[in-house]
Amino acid sequence: MKTVSARQLCFFLAFIAPVGKLILMPSQIVFDAKQDLLFSAALSYLLQSVIVFLVLLAAKKDKTLFALLRERLGTVGARVALSLLALFLFLAALLPMLEQKLLVQSVFYDTLPSILAFAPFFLFSAYLCFHPIAHLGRMWDILMPFSAVGFAGLIALSAGAADFGALLPVGASGMGAIARGTLHSLSWFFDSALLLPLLGRIEQTKRLPLKGTLCYLAGGGAVLLVLAVFYGVFSDIALRQLFAFSRISKYFPGVAVLGRIDYFFIFALTLVMAFYCAMPLHAGVECLKQAFGDTPVRAGGYTLAVNGVMFTLSVLLNYHFLRTQTFMTHTAAWIFPLFPALLVFVLLIGRKHEKA
Amino acid sequence: MNITGKRDQDAGAIKEILPAEDILTFDFRAAGGMDFTIVFTDPITDKELLGVLVVRPLLHYEGAATVEAVKERLTSPEVRTERDLDKLAEEVLAGNPVLLFDGADEGIIVGTKKIFFRAIAEPSTDVAVKGPREGFIEDVKINTSLVRRRLKSPELKIEFLKVGRRSATFVAMCYLEGTTPSATVEEVRSRLERIDIDVIPDSSYLTHFLVHKPYSLIKQIGTTEKPDIFCAKIAEGKLGLIVDGSPIALTLPYLAVEDLQSSEDYFVPQARASLTRILRLLAMVTAIYLPAFYIAAQLFKLQLFPIKLLLTISGSIQNIPLSPSLEMLLVLFVLEILNEASIRMPKYVGMALSVVGALVLGETAVNAGFVSTPAIIIIAFSGIGLYAVPNLIEVTSVLRLIMLLVAGSVGTYGIILVTAVLLYLLVTTENYGVPVLAPFSPLRRRDLKDSLIKFNLTALDRRPKTLKSPNKRRLS
Repeated sequence: MKTVSARQLCFFLAFIAPVGKLILMPSQIVFDAKQDLLFSAALSYLLQSVIVFLVLLAAKKDKTLFALLRERLGTVGARVALSLLALFLFLAALLPMLEQKLLVQSVFYDTLPSILAFAPFFLFSAYLCFHPIAHLGRMWDILMPFSAVGFAGLIALSAGAADFGALLPVGASGMGAIARGTLHSLSWFFDSALLLPLLGRIEQTKRLPLKGTLCYLAGGGAVLLVLAVFYGVFSDIALRQLFAFSRISKYFPGVAVLGRIDYFFIFALTLVMAFYCAMPLHAGVECLKQAFGDTPVRAGGYTLAVNGVMFTLSVLLNYHFLRTQTFMTHTAAWIFPLFPALLVFVLLIGRKHEKA
Repeated sequence: MNITGKRDQDAGAIKEILPAEDILTFDFRAAGGMDFTIVFTDPITDKELLGVLVVRPLLHYEGAATVEAVKERLTSPEVRTERDLDKLAEEVLAGNPVLLFDGADEGIIVGTKKIFFRAIAEPSTDVAVKGPREGFIEDVKINTSLVRRRLKSPELKIEFLKVGRRSATFVAMCYLEGTTPSATVEEVRSRLERIDIDVIPDSSYLTHFLVHKPYSLIKQIGTTEKPDIFCAKIAEGKLGLIVDGSPIALTLPYLAVEDLQSSEDYFVPQARASLTRILRLLAMVTAIYLPAFYIAAQLFKLQLFPIKLLLTISGSIQNIPLSPSLEMLLVLFVLEILNEASIRMPKYVGMALSVVGALVLGETAVNAGFVSTPAIIIIAFSGIGLYAVPNLIEVTSVLRLIMLLVAGSVGTYGIILVTAVLLYLLVTTENYGVPVLAPFSPLRRRDLKDSLIKFNLTALDRRPKTLKSPNKRRLS
């Protein structure tokens, strides 16, 4: 119960992490890279997989993040670094949270519901945040089939309607467009940072960094498949299809007779997504627990404060989503690969602190 | 306080400890002139047996007035001695008479307890078409004999413990030495010894003291009424508890998947067994979620219905005065009342009640326009689905209500979030070091062979890894 096994970690990287890239990221990449969206997404995945590899290398030291940082930066430095990581994770949580809110409002309701319809998510998130992060390992075991069935079901229902010829000619958008697509999708790639608070709790097995990275890339393969089907189904109008995974299967012929059976797969993925969206908050709270103590009172305090602030932000930013998205995907995009990379470099090659 | 050796005084002392009207004494004189007194509890002592095994042999007794000599004369196979008057009084209360005579430094306890029990019959909650039909009854001795008959192994240990200050209920702890982890045996024994309650009327009372999360909704202890299932679980490496006065035996550690299994699964081809298990799971999931999704779809997302079904539903609900969630809650409420009433009522009335409930009430309510036909169909289907997994009804019926309330207020997203919390609760619940949701979480590939999919018996060569049994091989 105290550790995350190598298998559970691989399940997270291959099955859970990809679901966070299915809501608005596809249409965002299409906006920049058009039919070359696969290249942009693949580049983002490759970049993030390098950092995932480095984090898993750091995990081999089998010490908690706080212990590792204290060795390099001293106690005060470690606390500052963990606080910064927590802030980074809360920032990273913002876009997935807001896009999930939009998804819920548009896909789960016929008419626009109240702003508060998404509020129960924060109760769920608070419930998770209060519990130790290592419990998530078992959750990934049980979420794996939901994710696998969700992905497989949606692809099966939509592949028939896709014209993969729409992805041709390859490279027609140009390198600049592909690079812009990559840059603007970086804010969805912070999975390496989610692993950092788990350091010291990951069961070490032979060649785990390599296996973990390959699993992450396999998950990336599934996302690329969804992106290919997405562009194959919608082609040029794909950039207007905001909730990609909930739209791609609506042209399945059986829908007319059986109703929206694809919703069962959408529900399965939304269940996984709920955990994925809560995870940055959970990881952030874990950083605070490691830095400043994890007594039940403190853990409760961090949990309430973090979820309270995020709930307030979700209400305040209700009419400013586009501005928020632009800020995250354009202005602040560089932070997402840079900050975890910097932190992991400190862990791997930083000098030992004098008092360590 | 110890026995004095003075017959009248000792009998009086026991009567003083037990000042009840059903505690009687019987005095008689042997041929040799020696006087005896028997102290016994009237309704629970077999007086005929007492006469044959104790009084008749002693009537002609002319030997020495020593405990050993008198003991030899008795023809009862169960004879013990005790010095302490309090302990002698306990035995009298348990139905075992105490024989006293002048000069005896110990009281003689004779095992002539009268045992009332019903015949061994097939339990109504766990009927099997194929396989053994015996079920536990309320007597712990008979129940342990049913277990012993199936496990004729010296490794089968049956430890008797007394629980309950006033009821002094016998609890038989059954396990296979070397197969059940000793840590589990130690912890259960220690938990049972620590129980300080006055009365244990049924095995369900014990569960509150044996689980690690007593307030959780999640079931944490297995139950069965069938000795064959009980023995199979013990042979897997679990520990069983049989409580005197209860036909329901407990097994632990509990795995959620065991309630999807039935004893019959092991007597039919594995394909059929696997199909039935999947069907049970689907029935349970449908029972919990169908009413909730119906409400959520009606209130928030009509697209979930196929168009023709939507037209049928809209036709049915047109003149219903209640909101969809209130309508569903009303039908569920009626179903639960009918269910409760039909279980408690005498059989004949129960049958009439079913007719009144199902036909008259349902039909009339639809005709009068109080409720719609789809609502009744959905609740009926959900009710049937719930009984596909009878051991989990206490949990699933509550979950169905929670889902219904959430669906009526938040819609499908609420159902998803409650499911997420439920999954989290399930994966984090463990008892005696064994996760309830194993072998699915944590994933144990080898143990999956007897989970939802059942492999051939020869493939189940090892005991479940999850149970951490020191004896790993089942089939050599």
